[in-house]
Amino acid sequence: MSAVLQSLVNQPYKHGFVTDIESDIAPKGLNEDIIRLISAKKNEPEWLLSFRLQAYQKWLTMTEPEWQNVHYPKIDFQAISYYSAPKPKKKLASMDEVDPELLRTFEKLGVPMHERAALAGVAVDVIFDSVSVATTYKQKLAEVGIIFCSISEAVHTHPELVQKYLGTVVPVGDNYFAALNSAVFTDGSFCFIPKGVKCPMDLSTYFRINTEGSGQFERTLIIAEEGASVSYLEGCTAPRFDTNQLHAAVVELIALDNADIKYSTVQNWYAGDEKGIGGIYNFVTKRGLAKGANSRISWTQVETGSAITWKYPSCILRGDNSVGEFYSVAVTNNYQQADTGTKMIHIGKNTRSTIVSKGITAGHSNSSYRGLVRIAPTAENARNYSQCDSMLIGDQCGAHTFPYIQVHNNSATVEHEASTSKIGEDQLFYFSQRGIGAEEAVSMIINGFCKDVFQQLPMEFAVEATKLLSFKLEGSVG
Amino acid sequence: MSEATHPDYLECLLKSWQAKPAESLSWLNQLRAQAIDRVSTQKLPTKRDEEWRFTDISSLTRLPYRPSQPDSNLHIQDIQHLFLDEVKNRLVFVDGHFSRQLSVIANPAFTIGNLPELLSTHAPILESHLGQYARFDSNVFTALNTAFLRDGAVIIAPKNTVVAEPIHVLFIATQSEVTHYPRCLFIGESGSRVTLIEDYAALEKAAYITNAITEISLAANARAQHIRLQRESTQAFHLANCAVSLAHASNYQSISIALGSRISRYNLDVRLTDEAAECVVDGLTVISDRQLADTHTCIDHSKPGGTSHQLHKCIADDTAHAVFNGKIIVRPHAQRTNSSQSSRNLLLSKTAQVDTKPQLEIFADDVKCSHGATVGQLDQEEIFYLRSRGLSEKAARNLLTYAFGAEIISRIPVTSLRQQLEQAVLDQTQSNSL
Repeated sequence: MSAVLQSLVNQPYKHGFVTDIESDIAPKGLNEDIIRLISAKKNEPEWLLSFRLQAYQKWLTMTEPEWQNVHYPKIDFQAISYYSAPKPKKKLASMDEVDPELLRTFEKLGVPMHERAALAGVAVDVIFDSVSVATTYKQKLAEVGIIFCSISEAVHTHPELVQKYLGTVVPVGDNYFAALNSAVFTDGSFCFIPKGVKCPMDLSTYFRINTEGSGQFERTLIIAEEGASVSYLEGCTAPRFDTNQLHAAVVELIALDNADIKYSTVQNWYAGDEKGIGGIYNFVTKRGLAKGANSRISWTQVETGSAITWKYPSCILRGDNSVGEFYSVAVTNNYQQADTGTKMIHIGKNTRSTIVSKGITAGHSNSSYRGLVRIAPTAENARNYSQCDSMLIGDQCGAHTFPYIQVHNNSATVEHEASTSKIGEDQLFYFSQRGIGAEEAVSMIINGFCKDVFQQLPMEFAVEATKLLSFKLEGSVG
Repeated sequence: MSEATHPDYLECLLKSWQAKPAESLSWLNQLRAQAIDRVSTQKLPTKRDEEWRFTDISSLTRLPYRPSQPDSNLHIQDIQHLFLDEVKNRLVFVDGHFSRQLSVIANPAFTIGNLPELLSTHAPILESHLGQYARFDSNVFTALNTAFLRDGAVIIAPKNTVVAEPIHVLFIATQSEVTHYPRCLFIGESGSRVTLIEDYAALEKAAYITNAITEISLAANARAQHIRLQRESTQAFHLANCAVSLAHASNYQSISIALGSRISRYNLDVRLTDEAAECVVDGLTVISDRQLADTHTCIDHSKPGGTSHQLHKCIADDTAHAVFNGKIIVRPHAQRTNSSQSSRNLLLSKTAQVDTKPQLEIFADDVKCSHGATVGQLDQEEIFYLRSRGLSEKAARNLLTYAFGAEIISRIPVTSLRQQLEQAVLDQTQSNSL
């Protein structure tokens, strides 16, 4: 049985290929000139340049954090190229004009844009190495007043909105990597749902890191005005490289009164080989501000890739009666490391939050849940329920939980539960008794273990996630 | 700013103790020298240290705490109210110094006494245990205590000895603005069974520092019940470390109760160093006013088949602040570990606060580990139920608060102590609620 599992877990990365498109790459290194170059390349207004420079100044005064439970060689920030874009060609009017090479890449990834758009009704804002290449369904969204475009486009078309909200949830100096991102971000998605509009379809972006040695720093900003609602999907795959790549994104969500934002992620970036060489460093700051009364922010994530995952999608529950949710599955194998979790900051009255975190650890990997539930003195009758379960596969891996619970109001009710388990021999025996092989049984048990989280994913993603999990862990049990 | 004063503060402390005579035992001198060495390389922890994130002890440096001097003016009637009926053997330390006249040693089947005395008769066994469990490489307070090591309680239960009556080790504080360094060493040889009560009390509302170390070593199949009672003055600082080492199939049961101190910090490290060891670690903190009580426990499973259970409860009233950090480590190959941990917290006032962090670090796959934490106030429905039975709101609240704490107290196997504590919790809830 263990041999079967071994072979399953050790499947080669299926998305490892490099698209050969001539890139427009900035010289390596980081200084004010590079930031000015990025800003100039993107034709940015003055306020954005000063935003970047302010972040850069802040970043210079900060030191790389070391408290997290992950280990990696020091990153040389001067060895990274902070800007790479496919050579600018003429403006694209339709899908037909998109570089066929690019389209082929997406096909290999299983993201047939038009098909997906047609079949699933998903608008895909495709990001290829930081620059938004094609945006579909924009028309349809525009009819109801939704703005969904790349952030660099939004800077030009809706500067007032970007300026109003950018950096309000994750300030430029929030943390080391957020400051870096604020200084050098090249592109990302911008989404604005006006008052009272329910977004008619799930919005989706596919990210892909391409040029070797280039970091990717996207910036996502989603704003839901009073009564608006949106479901946003983010999915990632990256080609195979042997040098580690840094990915430091920032995602900001803002929900006003009665607004509802649901943000789902399936992350399957290159995790390094079975010896732990290569792979993406995924250091992401994601935070949602439930600003208005009765607003709701929900994070769902399925983290299977990256050599190191380090992120804490958080909710600041400022509005009265606001709701924060966090559903997470983190799968690590080989030498992957994950330190992930969430922060639920309760400020408003009657705020509620739910945390469901499932960690599956195999091989030599290490996975940590690190969460903060903070009930401020103002958060009357706040309520939190947290559950974090870990499953260990093999005796070389580690699972850790670091839940911080800080309660400063006695009307709050906070509950936290955690458990650790493994796939039992008797469970597998039961399956084989019913004629189900070990491999399939493991897949079923794991999917059952993660069910609470998968239920939160939109349909197509749930299917993808289930598949991802089974080939990720193929061969790891035994 | 305040950080700059810390090295000086430690230096002053070290200097104040310079007059210490050298022992005839070279290993002991060496142990102290190593500890002094460690102190001089360290700083007092600040809130920036993860381990001290919620406990600010900077106020420690503001008072000129001298090392305590022996004081023999205490009479037995002054402290009689702290005695326990069941106890046949009692060691009393006044401000960290052993008091023969207040102690009772009833010619037992085991070894009991203070450190200087037993150093002359039991040096080899002390050498192999003293300072071996409470490590001072990273803890400045353990290093300080070890550096100033002079007196302490020593109890050695020989092979297969069963001691029916509990042993009471009472540390009494009488002076203001002094620091004492109590020390306890308990050695349970294989197959022995002992109940140990470690008790910290004060006679008046004085401000002083207690920096206590307890070391407990249980050999194969030994059993120990360790009841720890912290009822220091509400102006005092209490900084304590307890290190427990468990051998094959030994069993350690600990109940620690924290009622006193302005700021208290209790670190309990239990190491299950061999297979099939078991421990039960329970705790109760009842605090009010501006008290801060911080409990850090670490249960370290390094061999297969270990069991640990933990229930820690805090009741915080007024602007009190309770901190709990419970870590469970399951090291590689510690398969078939069964571990559970629960942190339950009750907030009685709007301004009381709790920071709890139950933490699991697991490196083995065939284990059963769970933890849970809750923070809340008294259940409205429970209050309503009691009121419908004719109890006043206040009485209902007191009863429920008392019951919350009684779950831990009821586990204490010493009747007289249990009654004393039940009364103490009752007094506290009645004086504070509403």
